[in-house]
Amino acid sequence: MKISHKWLKNYIDLEAEPEEVKEKLTMLGLEVESVDYPGEKFKNFYVGEVLEVSKHPNADKLTVCRVRVGKDTLQIICGAPNVAAGQKVPVALVGAVIPRNQHDPEGKPFVLTKAKIRGVESYGMICSEFELGLGDDKEGIMVLEPNAQVGQPLAEYFGLDDVIYDISVTPNRPDCLSHIGVARELAVAFGLKLKKPEFKVVESDKRITDYASVEIIDTLNCPRYAARVVLNVKVEPSPKWLQDYLRAVGLRPINNIVDITNFVLYEVGHPLHAFDYDKLAGHKIVVKCANDGEVFITLDGKARVLRKDTLMICDAEKPVAIAGVMGGANTEITDETKNVLIESAYFNPISIRRTSKYLGLSTDASYRFERGADPEAVIWAVNRAAQLMAEIAGGEVLQGVIDVYPVEIKPKVVSLRFSRLNSVIGFEFSQDDVVKILEGLELEILNRDEKSLTVKVPTFRVDIEREIDLIEEVARVYGYDRIPDKMRSVVHFSTEKVKVDFHNFVRERLIGAGFKEVVTNSMLDEEKASLLGENFVKVLNPLSREMSALRTSLIPSALDVVKHNFGYGVKNLKFFEIGKVFRLAFDEDEKPRYVDNYVEEERLLILMTGVAEPVSYDLGERIFDIYDLKGEVENLFRGIFLENYRFIYYSNNSDIAELEIGIEIGGKYAGRLIKVGDEILNKFDIKADIYIAEIDFDLLCKNSRFEERHYIELPRFPSVFRDLAFVVDESVPVGEVENAIKEKAGAVLKSIRLFDIYRGERIGEGKKSVAFSLEILSKEKTLTDEEVNELIQKVVKYVEQKFEAKLRSY
Amino acid sequence: MINQIEEVKKKFLEEIETVKDEKQLEEFRVKYLGRRGIIQTLFDKLKEIPREEKPTIGKFLNEFKELAQIKFDEKRKEIESGKRKVGELVDLTIPGRFKYTGRKHPLTQTLEEIKKIFVAMGFEIASGPEIEDDYHNFEALNIPPEHPARDMQDTFFIKENIILRTHTSPVQIRVMESKQPPVRIIAPGRVYRNEAISARSYCLFHQVEGLYVDEGVSFAELKGTLLSFAKQMFGSSVKLRFRPSFFPFTEPSAEVDVSCFICGGKGCRVCKYGGWLEILGCGMVDPNVFKFVGYDSEKYTGYAFGMGVERIAMLKYGIDDIRLFYENDFRFLEQF
Ligand SMILES: [Zn+2]
Repeated sequence: MKISHKWLKNYIDLEAEPEEVKEKLTMLGLEVESVDYPGEKFKNFYVGEVLEVSKHPNADKLTVCRVRVGKDTLQIICGAPNVAAGQKVPVALVGAVIPRNQHDPEGKPFVLTKAKIRGVESYGMICSEFELGLGDDKEGIMVLEPNAQVGQPLAEYFGLDDVIYDISVTPNRPDCLSHIGVARELAVAFGLKLKKPEFKVVESDKRITDYASVEIIDTLNCPRYAARVVLNVKVEPSPKWLQDYLRAVGLRPINNIVDITNFVLYEVGHPLHAFDYDKLAGHKIVVKCANDGEVFITLDGKARVLRKDTLMICDAEKPVAIAGVMGGANTEITDETKNVLIESAYFNPISIRRTSKYLGLSTDASYRFERGADPEAVIWAVNRAAQLMAEIAGGEVLQGVIDVYPVEIKPKVVSLRFSRLNSVIGFEFSQDDVVKILEGLELEILNRDEKSLTVKVPTFRVDIEREIDLIEEVARVYGYDRIPDKMRSVVHFSTEKVKVDFHNFVRERLIGAGFKEVVTNSMLDEEKASLLGENFVKVLNPLSREMSALRTSLIPSALDVVKHNFGYGVKNLKFFEIGKVFRLAFDEDEKPRYVDNYVEEERLLILMTGVAEPVSYDLGERIFDIYDLKGEVENLFRGIFLENYRFIYYSNNSDIAELEIGIEIGGKYAGRLIKVGDEILNKFDIKADIYIAEIDFDLLCKNSRFEERHYIELPRFPSVFRDLAFVVDESVPVGEVENAIKEKAGAVLKSIRLFDIYRGERIGEGKKSVAFSLEILSKEKTLTDEEVNELIQKVVKYVEQKFEAKLRSY
Repeated sequence: MINQIEEVKKKFLEEIETVKDEKQLEEFRVKYLGRRGIIQTLFDKLKEIPREEKPTIGKFLNEFKELAQIKFDEKRKEIESGKRKVGELVDLTIPGRFKYTGRKHPLTQTLEEIKKIFVAMGFEIASGPEIEDDYHNFEALNIPPEHPARDMQDTFFIKENIILRTHTSPVQIRVMESKQPPVRIIAPGRVYRNEAISARSYCLFHQVEGLYVDEGVSFAELKGTLLSFAKQMFGSSVKLRFRPSFFPFTEPSAEVDVSCFICGGKGCRVCKYGGWLEILGCGMVDPNVFKFVGYDSEKYTGYAFGMGVERIAMLKYGIDDIRLFYENDFRFLEQF
């Protein structure tokens, strides 16, 4: 909200510099987001008087003017057709920055210099509205009011010699949404006295009760409604001072009547509404809720569909305003308006908020009512407006105020224990300081003893209801910075076992293996969500169609990362992500951990594409293949002590994969390794081989043996190595041969490693030779050659039988 | 005999200096150290000398043999290493075989730093769901329906009363529901805001929530804890500024600025020439929140705080566009 420094000075003798005011407000919890000096752009601009105009000797369209600016008289060349002696005009002196250049297509600002124009010197510039940035008129110079004071800084003339604070007011402080409210805070902080304007309403002898009446039907949503009537007003533009105030806080002046209600709103914070009295049927106000589906035209010209919980202001026949939100077009103040009824009411914040929300209509009035207006400000505000209408619009204020107040809102009474204050804040406050602060905030001390005090809270402080609210007020006004930083604390030591940061454990291993970590968006479009998982979760109000569902897999966003990097020529990628995926539970038996039937699971994704490692000049360039991926996955499993897994080989792949291997961990399906299929790649517009593993992260954690590491005595005997090569049919999977060897060799086979696959003439068509290196180790003894040979023979025989294989070498 | 050995020794030392390559080295070895070499013949001669002289001469000869072996080994090493320099068979300037470099995402790195500091102070790690219910995200945090504070956070809805959490604060509620004080946790996690995407804001980001509830926990202690955190995180010379603010679930509440660690508070582009950078929000847990979780607010007090990981990472590394974190450009990731 914009607050004017000049305006504030009406209520406190503020002498502090703007920067100090900004600091004080911020440290009171009224964060100043910016400080604007609107007059600054008119530095070196003054009000001048044209004394004499004569033709330029060398140019038809130019004139040579003699312009008085203060004590000096300057010679200025002017090109405007409307310049004439006797005019008061805006003059820019040499050095001024002209906000907009009329001769520049983009209207860029420029610095005015002394110039010689066609042989005649010019010492300044008479400006147009356009050049001053005040309007679009470029045709001629701007002519000021005849009574403008020559030599007055132009900023002052326009009322711009001000400082505007843009304050972000938190929702709990509607009392600070006005100049008096902000002044009250500053008064406490600077130790000044708040001066609320004093005035007397001059009333005629006609009694208001003979002219109007008010009835509240919905007393829950409208606890108080007050009105005044002002007759015979002259609707016209507001005087300059009033327009200046409104413009300063960013409002557009409309007419004197509307401007006065806005002025009071920004002065004291209470929203008012002015009706054209003569258009109110029966000169009666009725406050009640609308009918469902009723249509009402608000004064912005829009048709609004009402609900049965929309609180309305009606006359004897029809609705005339949406209570606390916006008036209707049917009773709007126009140039023809003669008589005015001023509404000053207090509405239930929840009702106003509900209405404002469903209508999607937030106004200055609704903003304040929904945060909580001051029921006690009702009368002051309506009187202030009436009196200003009498002064400014020449109206006749009728005698009396209609004040319908069926259920009185009483000020709250709250107590504060000094001991509680000190223990919550951790600081011993002096009781006198506490009293001074609370009284400064207009809280009335009803009772005080050495242990506690009791205060009456003014109705404008809707946020103070409990002891803790008073504690906050004391700490806030005393200053958070004056409360010590306690760098010691008494801590209960934890008795829980420290958990291994398994995420970090996995991350470190993958980073060591050359993978970069990515973090991607968990929202994506529905097509991609359904492509890779069932039961996806939709977002009801997404930012865009591209983010209308939650991811069911990390694969789509990983492919987006690939696409992005390919776009910048980065083609070799190794990366991983650990992230959550979401879905609805598959059936009733599945009990999600937290909310409703939504399941959140963590996954690990590993992606590889491009040139395989090591990248080298001499080993021949090779691109990543499925075995690189498989190797990385197995390496990770070894690294995190995960042994109870197995790969599952399918006879056909799923839709998205060209190659696919399933992973089972601890007997449960845990994910898969894939070479991404063309159909998917086309959707992402990617042309490359992409290898992805996506694995359930929870299963990794649960099955890692990391927490159960236990020393096993080292073998006391050396290992024996033997190589075995078999010729088998091309159709025989290598993994099965390997498993057969493992199975037959039993426990003494410490490890087995495939070291060669050979195809060629010497072997025969449709055949391949697969060679393994076996490490054999007994825990009990050093194996003799005979024992090893016997074992090998057993294995060879088994493999030869099982796969119709032939031993090729041994 | 001693003289003879001395002479051989002298010759040996002279000749070994003349050995230049492997061939000469081998000839030299055969001549002196071979099975029929000079040193062996000296040993053979030892048999012929009188018994009483044997120990002295034997010892002398053995010492020479050891020396000869050492000198020979040195020479061999010299020739072998020299071979590379001279022969140029291995070009050591050829680049090493390239391996991919792993990097942790800058958000992870920042989060880990934050976690480490609080864990060292005795905080435990807690977590909660991202699909959250209205009760935990709002109501139990003292944000009733129709409350204007709901405007402070634009919410993504999944269905009635189910949302994507707008902050990590619901984890506070879940933790307090599950145990009695003392509670001392931090809860890192992903949160969502229905806000237009720009260089300054994204539809999701990461927060770290902190909560400490016990007997006698005070605002002064909150200030001290966060000051210690800030000094550990940003440097021991930084200062903190606590500004009164409003959060429905804490009272008193504060927004916390750290003195700009880039310009030292003098004013720069990053701190918008104000010398302060806003880094977190905090306050004393509101008694209403305790009511929701069934804690006795007369007996216990507590503080809570929350900070944005992206915000801190951006300040720390001078990143000016939040979207870079989720784009995962390798040229970006490589920098951290
Ligand atoms: Zn700075």
